[in-house]
Amino acid sequence: MSNVVVLDNGGGLIKAGIGGEREPTAVVPNCVGRPLSSKKWLIGDQLHSPSSDLTSASLRRPLDRGYLINPDLQRDIWSHIFTSLLPLKNPSLSSLLLVEPLLNLPSIQRSIDELVFEDFNFNSLFVADSPSLVHLYEASRSPYGLVSKTQTSLVVDCGFSFTHAAPVFQNFTLNYGVKRLDLGGKALTNYLKELVSYRSVNVMDETFIMDDVKEKLCFVSLDVERDLQIARRSGRDNLFRCTYVLPDGVTHTKGYIKDPDEAQRYLNLEDGAQSPQLKTKEGMDRLEVPGKSNDRMRIDLTKNEFGLTNERFIVPEMIFRPADLGMNQAGLAECIVRAVNACHPYLHPVLYESIILTGGSTLFPRFAERLERELRPLVPDEYQVKITTQEDPILGVWRGGSLLASSPDFEAMCVTKAEYEELGSARCRRRFFH
Amino acid sequence: MLSEHSLFVLQMEQEVIEADIVLPTHLSFKKVQMYEKYPKGQARGRHWKHLKQIIQAENYQNYPPDESNYVNIESPPSMHPCKRICDITGYEAPYYDPRTNLRYANADVFKLIRSLPNEYVQRYLALRNAAVVLK
Repeated sequence: MSNVVVLDNGGGLIKAGIGGEREPTAVVPNCVGRPLSSKKWLIGDQLHSPSSDLTSASLRRPLDRGYLINPDLQRDIWSHIFTSLLPLKNPSLSSLLLVEPLLNLPSIQRSIDELVFEDFNFNSLFVADSPSLVHLYEASRSPYGLVSKTQTSLVVDCGFSFTHAAPVFQNFTLNYGVKRLDLGGKALTNYLKELVSYRSVNVMDETFIMDDVKEKLCFVSLDVERDLQIARRSGRDNLFRCTYVLPDGVTHTKGYIKDPDEAQRYLNLEDGAQSPQLKTKEGMDRLEVPGKSNDRMRIDLTKNEFGLTNERFIVPEMIFRPADLGMNQAGLAECIVRAVNACHPYLHPVLYESIILTGGSTLFPRFAERLERELRPLVPDEYQVKITTQEDPILGVWRGGSLLASSPDFEAMCVTKAEYEELGSARCRRRFFH
Repeated sequence: MLSEHSLFVLQMEQEVIEADIVLPTHLSFKKVQMYEKYPKGQARGRHWKHLKQIIQAENYQNYPPDESNYVNIESPPSMHPCKRICDITGYEAPYYDPRTNLRYANADVFKLIRSLPNEYVQRYLALRNAAVVLK
């Protein structure tokens, strides 16, 4: 049997590998970047090589809001991946399983078909969407669980470009129930950039550094009002204060957290019915580290660094309250409720009980916990709410694709190059039911 | 004399037309030739469209409204009442002044807004698109 290339073409990261394997061969950023010092555009994994200095690098992405707008650039990135990262000798002997965003625009589908069949000469193509693949993967992980018994789940994919709440029924995504929230990791990074640039150092050009800050330091607050109060305190009472050191390009080329212990202190902040004042005082005593207190407070002027306090939870908060950003959209919890309400009433209890979280932006600590708290008051009380997190939300979609590609019927579901040449793009697409 | 001159001009022009005054297309000393860098018939620079333009070109208003597509799966605005924010201080505002329609956070702010001239009040309201527009 010919091999199948599984390609999850995300807005932030491309996950590519051979179908049937557990891990993708390549996980590289889906962009080209040019450092200030050079004239050459670096593609994908070259951006992460230790020799490249990415401060103020200019970036170009082939995807805009998750949809392919620049096929030429995408072709360059794909051909780089296929030739130097994947063991893909001859695409005309292999099939491609491509993950497209939900309800892709017809003109974009046409350009993707052109890319796949005419530029790369793939033998056949299968187009999948992320919710059904995530559902497939989760169902296969627990064959006797609710998801696989009912073949129903509600997949919340909170990725780089946007967030989708999509009901899946009998392994197919119900397109009429899908709701999209135009907020993802990119918007959050940009918001963090804006906040930090306004309050301390101008980092508007430092996408990679701020991505790192976001991934390492941001978390979801369980009680925003209380946490804002705590973040207002001065000195060591402020559990959220932490310092990030920017790279100086000489001794270290990557930014880092100045004091990792300090950055983790918020985790000790329990929440519950206790009075917050009392509790945090207790927390303070427990957390006291003698000798470090002076060091912590001093801002070292020889290094470029900035402090973060309430930015750490205000940024992920946007997913739950887009109105704070001036967006006229409902938050994630309401989005989920609407996606469920668009489905048949018989499905509601099952959907609420099998919510699957996937996508890189769900990696913020306490994301699932907060979502459950937001969701519970909105869901009728006779239904249970159960939120499942994936073990690796970034790769969840790819693993589902790998699973599908290794199934025996896969070849039959594909559209072959001959069919494409005979019938054209639109006709072939009808086979994928979306 | 005049005719001779005009004849000369004519001759010149003929020469100019025939002569290869424009740079030859192939320059042997160049590593990358111009015609390779900018192939004819292809627009230079950006030949891709922004997502907004692609969506416009898709003519979604002609699609059946009950079929889901990119435009109508967007999450609609929240059903919950939005937060009331004080127009002056930016804090959460529990009160609003029925005379000026400004929202305010506490008594001090209330004193201030009552002292504001109407023109200023309208400007504050305009910030949140609540100003009275006389037509």
